[in-house]
Amino acid sequence: MIEEDRKICVDIGSTWTKAAMFNLSHDRFSVETRAVMATTTDHLPEGVYGVLHHLMPGHDWHSLESTPVPVHFASSAKGGLNVAVVGLVPEMTLQIARLAAFSAGARICAAYPYRLTRSCIAAIEQARPDILLLCGGTDGGNERYVTENARAIAGSAFCGTVVYAGNNQAVDHVSDLLSERDLRVTENLMPDFGRLNIEPVRETIRQVFLERIISGKGLDELVRRFKTQPVPTPLAVLNLVEAIGNHVAGWDNFAMIDMGGATTDFYSFCEAYYPDSGTILKGIVEPTLKRTVEGDLGMRVSAASAFETARELLLANLEGSEQSLEIMSAYIDRLAANTSHLPADLAEQQFDQLLASACVYHSLMRHAGTIEEVYTAKGPVWAQSGKDLRRVNRIIGTGGFLAAMGRAGDALEMPVAPAVKSDKIPLLPKDFEYFSDSDYVLPLLGCLAAKYPQQSAATAVSYLTSLHHNEEQVKEFSHREFTHA
Amino acid sequence: MTPVNIVLGVIGFDCHSVGNKILEAFFTEAGFKVTNLGVMVSQEEFISAAIETDARAILVSSLYGHGEIDCAGLREKCIEKGLEEILLYVGGNLVVGKTAFAEVEEKFLKMGYDRVFGPDCSLEKVVELLNEDLDSRPKGND
Ligand code: B12
Repeated sequence: MIEEDRKICVDIGSTWTKAAMFNLSHDRFSVETRAVMATTTDHLPEGVYGVLHHLMPGHDWHSLESTPVPVHFASSAKGGLNVAVVGLVPEMTLQIARLAAFSAGARICAAYPYRLTRSCIAAIEQARPDILLLCGGTDGGNERYVTENARAIAGSAFCGTVVYAGNNQAVDHVSDLLSERDLRVTENLMPDFGRLNIEPVRETIRQVFLERIISGKGLDELVRRFKTQPVPTPLAVLNLVEAIGNHVAGWDNFAMIDMGGATTDFYSFCEAYYPDSGTILKGIVEPTLKRTVEGDLGMRVSAASAFETARELLLANLEGSEQSLEIMSAYIDRLAANTSHLPADLAEQQFDQLLASACVYHSLMRHAGTIEEVYTAKGPVWAQSGKDLRRVNRIIGTGGFLAAMGRAGDALEMPVAPAVKSDKIPLLPKDFEYFSDSDYVLPLLGCLAAKYPQQSAATAVSYLTSLHHNEEQVKEFSHREFTHA
Repeated sequence: MTPVNIVLGVIGFDCHSVGNKILEAFFTEAGFKVTNLGVMVSQEEFISAAIETDARAILVSSLYGHGEIDCAGLREKCIEKGLEEILLYVGGNLVVGKTAFAEVEEKFLKMGYDRVFGPDCSLEKVVELLNEDLDSRPKGND
């Protein structure tokens, strides 16, 4: 007998396997019990059985042939799939390809417009992405670039999966050229100029993602036993963001930052462009639900690259404090040497916070569009490119670090941005309320978002803690649990 | 036979949209695959669209009198982006006031446009010329 009003969600991360038992009553879930264990990397089901045993000790999970409570699980598969995107015009098919790959839960390790030169091919061979997403040309449009690029790929040592989502007239040619490869052909992501068709590519990448997650490491065992497919963790979170945006009143203009040790993922749910705002748009209208991933911004594995990226910003923010960039640099070196390091004193804690706010700032700047004044014969006009985030009025912080900050009652600090000389004004949220996923339930709830969008969205919002922008308070140093709730 | 792709739009910050709709309907009827970018189109957008759709001609409109400034440099940008063989047509109320058409035409031909049309041109004639020009010009891209 399966208990249908209880659900177990398991999130298999690269370091921790987390689980929670949810109870469905009326319109939402509540967390009953939780468990966490180190991920058993060589055989993932071990760790999963471990957390399940914590949640429901009465069962022998190793030999159970059917589950007493439905189990849903998500896996991040070594931190996500790496995708190289190859498109034609940078602002058009290449940009759409990026958005599609991100929205499938992938990371982008390289992006090339126009023609793949020998050095591009060499870079791809070295980066060894899991997937190469090849596109370009409208249906019936340009065939030359995709066929030439397919030929270049065929002649390369790259042997991962190729997803083709370009001009449909070039399909035969591309298929012939790549007949020796694992080629997945899907619909054109821009069938007519300026018209986005992201869903088929997204679905294809998701499928490849699942195959990769399941193969090896024993996840096929869980699929068989629990009769359920895993969700890639970033996709689970994306589904939840979408569910919140669609189903919770007042949450139709919000963003979410998921900051981890290796990446910072930024999600937004809002209209990208308001034609009534007296502004013209350059390039495509970006989707309402958008995800971007910054592989160089993170709290531990990517601390060094984040530090490099944010150097100027950090310098501006360290001004007037007794700390210096040099001392911080030494801390970053310590993090590089030991990626599970926890801040040991107030200074280190301050560096972590600075690093976090730098990750937030840069991921936000890259996610947001810009507006610039262009002078025309008819006087000045505003031209927008990318996504307008000005109406975003709520931001959620999740991921180990932001959750821990939330538990300590710390709001997200927007760093003091260094003055930049640029005519492009970023379209950032004007005024927002900050919410922390301090119980760190969102990734787990995400497992339920596709099947129970309304209930999981209501639950997610009810578990958030609203933190107002800081009233200066003296903070006691607290040794925070960093990696898990 | 697959239809020939052409790109259409009103350049600059010009928002006269009526003629643009007529042109789209007319050229579609005449058998072309028209990518209509509508009004307020920048040179970059014309070029991006021409590349992605593999267009063999760009038809630029300018009605509000600033055609000269808006249209200058498009040919050079096309060449820079590898669209050496593309046909560039321009039409509408290209300059302010009453300038003799021959003078206007010469100006735009110098800028690298292949053909120049006034507001009262016959669209049947334009289609005829376009087909001729396409026949005599090699297909640039493949
Ligand atoms: C309606 C109109 C408007 C409307 C437009 C509404 C809309 N959504 O389209 C409004 C009120 C908004 C408007 C605004 C302005 N307008 Co006005 N407008 C007109 C008007 C009366 C009709 C235009 C029209 O629709 N014609 C009908 C269509 C079918 O013809 P068409 O546009 O010429 O297009 C045909 C041909 O030109 C040709 N063609 C066009 N492009 C091309 C390209 C190629 C390759 C080819 C082969 C052929 C071709 O084929 C088309 C189809 O048959 C004209 C005067 C006139 N009678 O033409 C003035 C006119 C175009 N406007 C003019 C002006 C000055 C303006 C403003 C600058 C006024 C101001 N000071 O604010 C603004 C500009 C705003 C802007 N940023 O664009 C002037 C332009 C002067 C010049 N070029 O020397 C005109 C000529 C009036 C005048 N005599 O002074 N306008």
